[in-house]
Formats: sequence, structure tokens, C-alpha cells
Amino acid sequence: MIWQLDLSILSLIVVCAFATIMVKDLLSAAIIFGAYSFLMCLLWTEMGAVDVAFTEASVGAGVSTVLFIAAVHQTSRRVTPRKSGRLLSKVIGLVAALLMGLVLIIAEADFPGFASPFSPASLHLSPYYITQTLHDTNVPNIVTSVLADYRGFDTMFETAVIFTAGLAVIAILRRYKKDDSTEIPEPYTISEGYPDTIIRFVARQLVPFIQLFALYVVAHGHHSPGGGFQGGVIIGASFILLAISFDTRMIIGLMSEKSNILLGNIGVLIYAGIGFLCLLLGANFLDYSILSKVLPATDKVMARSHGMLGIEIGVAIAVMAIVISIYINIVSCGKYDKDV
Amino acid sequence: MDIIVIIFTLTGLIFFFATTVGLLRFPDFYSRMHAAGKGDTLSSLIMLLALVFYNFHEFNLANLLVALKILLIGIFIFMASPTATHAIIDAGYESDIKPWTKKPEEES
Repeated sequence: MIWQLDLSILSLIVVCAFATIMVKDLLSAAIIFGAYSFLMCLLWTEMGAVDVAFTEASVGAGVSTVLFIAAVHQTSRRVTPRKSGRLLSKVIGLVAALLMGLVLIIAEADFPGFASPFSPASLHLSPYYITQTLHDTNVPNIVTSVLADYRGFDTMFETAVIFTAGLAVIAILRRYKKDDSTEIPEPYTISEGYPDTIIRFVARQLVPFIQLFALYVVAHGHHSPGGGFQGGVIIGASFILLAISFDTRMIIGLMSEKSNILLGNIGVLIYAGIGFLCLLLGANFLDYSILSKVLPATDKVMARSHGMLGIEIGVAIAVMAIVISIYINIVSCGKYDKDV
Repeated sequence: MDIIVIIFTLTGLIFFFATTVGLLRFPDFYSRMHAAGKGDTLSSLIMLLALVFYNFHEFNLANLLVALKILLIGIFIFMASPTATHAIIDAGYESDIKPWTKKPEEES
């Protein structure tokens, strides 16, 4: 930790945050938000939280910026000036916000001091993880083992949250009927891709490497920063790169709506299924050590490592499918390739 | 070895500085992208080379692997960064951004 670096990055982050809110042009706001995410990623790397930084770089700065820009492209770059509401509603809003802040401040007083070495978390929990993880699970990357094993239940519902987000986008945007009277924003075209030889060539050369790297991130998440979320997002991003440089229809041909939803389901099912397999074998939900009964040539410690790998693969499949499905739904106004 | 690292880092920093100055001072979109694209690629490559040499202060197999990975990052930057510059400039050309010329233009 170098505090001068921390301070400068933090002040830049605050500037970016304000700029994102103040800028009137939505495209600029999306791009500044991407810069904000990269700065957050730098800050986390600087603090030593490489896994979180990796997630922020791939999800926050990479894919969500692309999704924002796609949404802006389909709608409007301008902020519509909001009609000033009535005074009463403004006062009610202000009072509610102040009350909420007051409650939070009161609750904060009961917390242990910020980064206090005597808080229960740093007295009992963290030392246990740091000293026992390698012995318990044979996984050198503590973050992965906490995320996927000790706190596997949390991560399962995180995956479920992403899955639900994908379902929500489909439920809101997707048009099934021909006579859907909902208005389509004016400059509606399914991107035919931009016929540019250089961009297409480079994209075609890079995509295999990107996907190989994503598989490495998923499979090597135990030993180095990375894991299911990051790997899944990177595979999804490689498909989005193809969709941008070539043609959206090509991606729909590769990953149809049906296979997307199926893969998303399968991913979440792999995660929950491994949990239920543990139940069936007579242990607690997501207690992977019991898997040594079914996996050949593994003892209880290695079984936990393999169980983590299994759920990481499930997470990666789910995240990849959901990212692609959200992107296609946004760029095609929910119509996929059909000209409704 | 340290001297090589220092030389490379300083060269990279000088090129980064030139890039920033060019980005701020050039008159129009195209020349700005010209400064950003070329300077950015070159200076990041030089900085990565400096990192590779810095990594070799103690020569063993693990360090060699890290150095190879850094070189791979360099290759990908070498491919991706000029392409991104090309894409941005092409988009600017498509949306009819007028290049800057020396004679004062009539009010457009």
C-alpha cells in the first residue's frame, strides 16, 4: 500500500463519479463510468484484492460498458429534462432519505471500528481462513476457497441473481408476438456489422486466444486470481466482440435463444446439483468433502478442491449464457433476428 | 541490468508524456488519435519490456514464465491497440468529421 497512490486514485474516482452524474450526454456518461470502473480496479489491485479487481475489470469496465453503450445506441443520447415534481413529493423524498441515513448512522455505531484489529472478523474468521485453507481444501487461492467452499451458499445465490437478471431482461425486452404494439425506438436496425477488413481480421485472430484465456481463468481459479464469474464474462465478451465486428445474426446462429436459456439453466443446475449430490451422499448442502465417495482416487481434501472446480464451471456456463442473452436482447430490441 | 530497466522505463515515460501532450495540443480529431494510437502502443510496449528485464534480476524458470506472459501481453497490445485506433478513426471518418486544414474555413 502506497498511500499517495491510493489518495490520487481515490480522488480521481470521486471526480469520475461526479462527472458520470453531471454529464448530459449519456454516451459520455457510459464511457466515464467505464473509466470509473477501471480506476476502481486499479485501486483494488493496489490494495492486494486481485480477484475483486479482475471481476471489476471484466464485468464493470468491460461488459457493462458495452451493454450501456448498446442501450444508449438503441434509445437516445440525450437526457430528457425531468418535469419538476410537486413540492410535497420532494419534501417527502428528502425526509425519507434523511431518516434512512439517520438509521444507517445509528446502526453504524454498533459496528466494530473500521479495520479494527479487535473486531470479531479479524480476530477469529480471517486468521482461520488464512492458516487453515491450504490444510482444509488444498487450494492456494484463499479467495476462491472462501467464495466457493466456506461461503458456497452465498455464491450460489449470486449466480441465481445473475440468472434472474437475465430472465428479467428477457421478460422486459423480448417480443414474441408479431402484433406487439410497443413502440420501437426509431433508428432500429439489427447490426449487420461494419465491413472493415482490419477489424474483422484482428477480431478473428484474437477470439480463440480470448476464449482459451477464459478457460484458463476458470480452470486455474484455485491457484491464481480468477474463477467462474470472470471466466464466464470473458467468454461472453469474446462472443460480443464477434457480434460487434461481424454480424449480430452470426452470434444468434451460434448461440440461439434456446441454447442460451438452456445453458443458463444448466449452469445454475450444476451448482445446485453438486450441492444436492452432497446431501444425497449424507453430508450438508455443498459440503464437498463427501464427494470423495464418488470421485475416484481423491481423499476428502482433494474432493473439496474438485467440488470447487465443478461449481466454478457451473458459474462460468451460467454467466456466459446470460451475458450473451442480455447483449442480444438489447441490440436487437428484443426481437432477435426476426423482423416482426 | 538495473540500468537497462531504468532506460526502458524512462523512454516509455517520455513517449507517454509526448502522447499526452499530443492528445491535448493537436488541433483536430485525426491528429489527436494519431498521437494517442501510436504513442500509447509504443510506450506500453517499452514499459512492458522494462518489466520483463526487471523480472530477470534473478534468473530461474518461474521468472522466465512470468517474462513470457508479459511478452504475450505485449503481443496482444500490439495487435489490439492499433486496431482500436483504426476503428475509432474510421468511425470519425464515416460520421464526416472534417480534417483540420491550415487555411481558415468558412463557418460551417
